[in-house]
Amino acid sequence: MPAAASEMLVGASSDFLTRFSPFNRMEPEALEFLAERATLAFHARGSEILTPEMGQPTHFHIVQRGKVQARQLGPASVTDYAAMTLGPGECFPIGAISAQRPSTNAYVAVEDSFVFQLPAEDFLKLMQMSPVFHVFCTQYIASLLNQSRQQLQSTFAQRAAEQQTMTTPLGQLVKKAPIFVTPDSSIRAALEKMSEMRIGCMVITDAEQKPLGILTQSDLLPRVVLPGIDLQRPIGDVMTATPHVMSASDSAYDAALEMATHGVRHLLVVDSEGRLKGVVSERDLFTLQRIGLRQIRSSIEGADDLEALQRASRDIRQLALNLIAQGIGAEQLTQFISALNDALTCRIIDLARAKHDLYGIDYAWLAFGSEGRHEQTLSSDQDNGIIYACPEGTDQAALKSRLLACAKEVNENLAACGFPLCKGNIMASNPELCLTLEEWKGRFGDWIREPDPQALLNATIFFDYRVLCGNERLGDQLRGWLNRTAKAYSNFLRLMASNALQVAPPLGRIRDFVVEDDGTIDLKKSGARLFVDVARILALRADVASSSTVQRLRQAGNRMGMPAEEIAALIDGFHFIQLLRLRAQHLDTEHDAPGDNRIDPDKLNELDRRILKEAFRQARKLQLRLKLDYQL
Amino acid sequence: MNWLTRLLGTRTDTASLDAALRDAIASWEALAAPELGSAHFETRYVVINTEATGLDLDKDRLLAVAGIAIDREHLSPHDSYYAPLEPDAATALTNLLTFAGKGPVVVFNASFNRSLLERALDEHLGLTPDWTWLDLHWLLPALYDEHIDGPARLADWMKAFGIETFQRHHALGDAWAIAQLMLAAQARARALGLNTPRSLADLEHSRRQLRRHG
Repeated sequence: MPAAASEMLVGASSDFLTRFSPFNRMEPEALEFLAERATLAFHARGSEILTPEMGQPTHFHIVQRGKVQARQLGPASVTDYAAMTLGPGECFPIGAISAQRPSTNAYVAVEDSFVFQLPAEDFLKLMQMSPVFHVFCTQYIASLLNQSRQQLQSTFAQRAAEQQTMTTPLGQLVKKAPIFVTPDSSIRAALEKMSEMRIGCMVITDAEQKPLGILTQSDLLPRVVLPGIDLQRPIGDVMTATPHVMSASDSAYDAALEMATHGVRHLLVVDSEGRLKGVVSERDLFTLQRIGLRQIRSSIEGADDLEALQRASRDIRQLALNLIAQGIGAEQLTQFISALNDALTCRIIDLARAKHDLYGIDYAWLAFGSEGRHEQTLSSDQDNGIIYACPEGTDQAALKSRLLACAKEVNENLAACGFPLCKGNIMASNPELCLTLEEWKGRFGDWIREPDPQALLNATIFFDYRVLCGNERLGDQLRGWLNRTAKAYSNFLRLMASNALQVAPPLGRIRDFVVEDDGTIDLKKSGARLFVDVARILALRADVASSSTVQRLRQAGNRMGMPAEEIAALIDGFHFIQLLRLRAQHLDTEHDAPGDNRIDPDKLNELDRRILKEAFRQARKLQLRLKLDYQL
Repeated sequence: MNWLTRLLGTRTDTASLDAALRDAIASWEALAAPELGSAHFETRYVVINTEATGLDLDKDRLLAVAGIAIDREHLSPHDSYYAPLEPDAATALTNLLTFAGKGPVVVFNASFNRSLLERALDEHLGLTPDWTWLDLHWLLPALYDEHIDGPARLADWMKAFGIETFQRHHALGDAWAIAQLMLAAQARARALGLNTPRSLADLEHSRRQLRRHG
């Protein structure tokens, strides 16, 4: 009799739970409810059980055996601990699951651990059912709130400190004593000193330590190495005379402006008598860019008309270009762009909402395609839609027309801020894309059940949706349904897989790369998309909620037992291709210009060529995996 | 019951079972074979354990059977089965087949459990399931050699992982411990790139070979 068996096992679980608070004080029927619904899973040492990237937690966890560490992520911690270890009987995440938001902690098994898990909806039922458990959770959350309030204060303090650095006089920014030579020193002596002190430039001063010139590393190739200059000659012959000089009392901000205006990477700082105090490099001012990010953000949040938003949009683009110029990685860069564009879009929606009465309408603004994946580049056009709830007894047509009118204004304002209107009309103001949860399910369901070529193409755009603002739960409900449904139709995933394999990485047998007729490689079509398409299928199969390619690869890869190094290599490959795309757009930021996303591999330097080749090999590896999985 | 009666007498023909059991067996037989190449997180493993009058295959009899499923790397108390063979062995065993489906099945110490169970199934139902059997007795030392580097008793493995159960030497009580060991085995297998039931079967096979020749 199966009943007898499950009673014994439920009994075993509740016996275990009653050894710990608050379960030992819990009402018998609540304890029974918990023990019946909890399933047991194993987490190997070092594996992640729950991270913020996994989105809204689907389960409540109780450690049965082993140790789980809660680690604060991100620069600002919400609680007063950096890491806390949970042992048997302890549970997580209480705050995130009650508030139905992603966890702020990463929970990692630090020993081989057995952990019970309870579905989120049962956790909420348990809270309603058991006053004891309810009190336990609310007290826990109250203590969290208290901690986060303190945290908020210290964040403000930190922000104030950062503001200071921006206005810091250069004199304070210069930490090292100046290194310099006189103009009659030999080039060799100067270079030896640069190498010994590990500095990127040498300052040339007169006897009174007043700057006369500068020689930077990038000057060496054209001025010294290629002309084959005799290293015994005086450095005065090859230096840049009348270097850019700033006063020690000028601010870091002034210095950044000076660098940007004249396109130099080093500035000399002098005291009131004109004597060299030190050198400020672009790198020293790097923290300034973070402030730039914050300032743009607050200017977006404070903007109350279209003009202000347009200005902010130009600032975003400029910041992105500066960051590319500084050699920042593709991951951070796309995160910056994505975060700022999100803020901008939300502000545009806020402003439109003020004009269109949307009070009481439960809706969410969806981003599709690359924006949905957090992978926007500088030339992505708009891809958006709306999901809304239509309560029974409401006039749906009237409600929808209110949403559409507002969406139209948002689409137009986004276009005015540099996000071109979508040519395919994938925009929220399109009545076909402003749908209720049920209608979206119907739409997605049709594609999954009848995956003709158009349906498969649609899936690659729309399944990468995420909620940009509004009620996130609507998006989560759709995601849960979508993952379950797609998984059940294995033929759909198979066709998606065969579609994803249509384009092969452009690796040649004889030459390094297979190029198109014009000698270029399309980094979107034959590069990034190879990763994106496979990641989407893996995510559907492994039930990963995230829409970002990197997170999909990371989380699905983990679930499928791909070794961590292999996953890391895949992600590096993807990032590198994204970086090349951004760099190409940096040079050619005209929207939809034919040069977009195209690079000529012959124009890359040797190192970049090699990395690109490796990146394509990673794409091939990923495709091969899919081929094997679906026997294609 | 001695070996002679066992050999000569009581073997049942499926035809002599009552209709409900025949139907259950027919629908079990009609089940598709499991996909041994799918990943652990897509597979339902069934841990099977037995309880006997003793440990001597020649003399001792099967008393009870138990099963716990590990479905997609999760162990749910509801997906479980336990039945004593008295008073109705045919029903107890048929229900076990229905619960286990076409496997793959996991046992601790197949040489005893599998033999005992196959004999009972043959005797009472007249069939031998073509399950893929995975034996943790061999797999655990192959996967967790830092704990124990060779075949060991269930009690030793429970101690190594700190696993407890509500009742030792009870078919379900031990199955609960074995199922937890299987969860651990899956996770380690995955870390080693052994992602499917088939790869576990291969690992076990090569272990047995090594033991034989080593």
